[in-house]
Amino acid sequence: MSVVAFIILYGVSYGLVLCLISVGLVVTMGLMRVINLAHGAFAAIGGYIAVSLAGHGLLPFAAAIPVAVIAVVLLSIVMERLLFVHLYNAPELDQVLMTIGFNFVVVAALTLFFGTDVYPVRLPPWLAGSVDLGFRTFEVYRVITMAVCLAVIGLLWLAFDRTNLGARLRAAVDNRGMAQATGIDVPRLFLLTFAAGSGLAAFGGAIGAPMLPLEPIYPFKYLVLVLVVVALSGFGNVRAVVGVSIFVGIVDTAGRFFLPDLGAFIIYALLIVLMIWRRQGLFAQRTVA
Amino acid sequence: MKISLVRLVAAMALGSLTATAQVAHAEETIKIGIVGPFSGPFATTGTGFRQGLEAYVAQHGSEVGGRKVQLIYRDSETGSSDPSVAKRLAQELVVNDNVALLGGFMLTPEAAAAAPVANEAKTPLLLFNAATPALLEMSPYYIRMGQNIAQPAELGATWARQLGKSRGYSATADYAPGHIVEEAFAAKFAAEGGKIIGKDRIPLKTVDFAPFAERIANANPDVLEVFITPGAPAVGFIKALAARGLTKKILIIGQGEAEDNDLHLYDDSVVGFHSIIYLSAALDNPENNALKATLHRRFGPGTEPSAFTIGAYDGLNIMYRMIESQAGKPFDGAAAVKSVIGYSWKSPRGPVTIAPSRELIQNFYVREVEKKDGKLQNVVIKTFEQVQPPASKK
Repeated sequence: MSVVAFIILYGVSYGLVLCLISVGLVVTMGLMRVINLAHGAFAAIGGYIAVSLAGHGLLPFAAAIPVAVIAVVLLSIVMERLLFVHLYNAPELDQVLMTIGFNFVVVAALTLFFGTDVYPVRLPPWLAGSVDLGFRTFEVYRVITMAVCLAVIGLLWLAFDRTNLGARLRAAVDNRGMAQATGIDVPRLFLLTFAAGSGLAAFGGAIGAPMLPLEPIYPFKYLVLVLVVVALSGFGNVRAVVGVSIFVGIVDTAGRFFLPDLGAFIIYALLIVLMIWRRQGLFAQRTVA
Repeated sequence: MKISLVRLVAAMALGSLTATAQVAHAEETIKIGIVGPFSGPFATTGTGFRQGLEAYVAQHGSEVGGRKVQLIYRDSETGSSDPSVAKRLAQELVVNDNVALLGGFMLTPEAAAAAPVANEAKTPLLLFNAATPALLEMSPYYIRMGQNIAQPAELGATWARQLGKSRGYSATADYAPGHIVEEAFAAKFAAEGGKIIGKDRIPLKTVDFAPFAERIANANPDVLEVFITPGAPAVGFIKALAARGLTKKILIIGQGEAEDNDLHLYDDSVVGFHSIIYLSAALDNPENNALKATLHRRFGPGTEPSAFTIGAYDGLNIMYRMIESQAGKPFDGAAAVKSVIGYSWKSPRGPVTIAPSRELIQNFYVREVEKKDGKLQNVVIKTFEQVQPPASKK
């Protein structure tokens, strides 16, 4: 019983952070059809900005996170106009090379500014410590992170399903040509989506920093997990991302718990099986064009 | 054509004359090749090597046995390359630069790759820190300056039993040194009457250690032997143990996970972590104080000697003794190695002697992380004196 509780609690908290980081990539890959392997870089930058602001005492952790998100959103808007806009119609290899190159630049910049060591995260006192849930203790930090992630994802869901912007986004993902024909300003939508996706990634990187340690190779390290989530969700399928992320988080945690030597491979084995069985993703939705 | 040929032959004759003249002059300088990670993720090790070597030269000069010593540094780029680079560098040093001695070789695969070079060139090679037991059997020219990785594991088991611990668990990184630690700890703990209730091998690329901490908590041991690569993995693991409440409940014994220059990466949850290692920057003996003074003078007030600094420092000391033993004759590698067996001296880490197995008989220190005046530091709480290296096993 305590084992099941552990796996669910840790797996879900891990998965929700992964969800925040991945949802941006799911949307941009679905909408812009760009293989953006540099997505993790924005998560890393967001994490580093938040943790270093808090670490140097310039801002409390809770305030540093929104500042980091805004900084990354601005950075992503600049990068989109300068760099990524050229990738929209480029062949896939070019997209891969360009975004991987961007990753290398970010890794080098992070090494330059922050050094090669793991950047230490000092949790503020209200986030440190454990809470007694009755059947076991659980870290306060993870409880709060889960709550915040669920709130943000809830808002995202609302925006996606209930707003005009969300509707336009869904239309553009389903059928870009038709959407453009009906007067939707698709390039501006791209910019907004890219900025929002990067901002969410930064938020995930910042709030997840104690769980996913910050080091310069962060963009490469978590790229694989994020791509696993994207692959299993299917392009543009935002509704599926939460379920898939939690699934990945739980499988990963359970794998490590029961098979310490091989635990990390379980998720990849699962990925292979699922890709063969359901290529469109776990929760496939019909896409047109 | 013919005139050019005569000129060519004359030029060659002249050239060979000057070459011989240079060779005659070169006998007065003896070269030492140092292969280490001076760039890349392990650059701090390379820095330690260099600081130890330069500190020794600053204290003892660069002449010994009537010869001038020249250090040649080569970057093995460990971590961003593969071990064959180290082998190639060793070859080049021996063939092109005519080094009489080699030193460094941080990682076991690099040291293993260089063994054929040392054997064929009959060049003594000092391993500044590599700890895998099997390395010494690969070459009769290898001398180890660090520790045999099984030693602290066995001492951990002995000490835990001395404290009455009976339920042992080991959590080690999943690569060769980790396996050796796991086996050494388990064998010794069981031999002294303890019971091993679990052994976990943690994959090298792990970032989330919560599941491992959970497994350990469920098994409920009273002593945990830990061997995790220092840096991000060690910090993550100890934090996970602390989050699960284990740092307060069980005796955790490690090795290099919480070195003094890494303690700034941790928070207070690391207090109470024990480690067993063959040196301590806090030791108060004349040699260590002199080394620290030299380091502070040359490299800045915050420079502390690490295992790599002391490995290089002691390594150069051995090399100087070897050169001295061959004063006045051409340098013979095999004779030089033989001459330092049984050599005893006072190192910054305490008194050491070179055993016949070409490893060191040295002190091992049990340290505990404490918070003094708001600062985390390792404090020596027990010394195992003059520990013999384990009998060589395959």
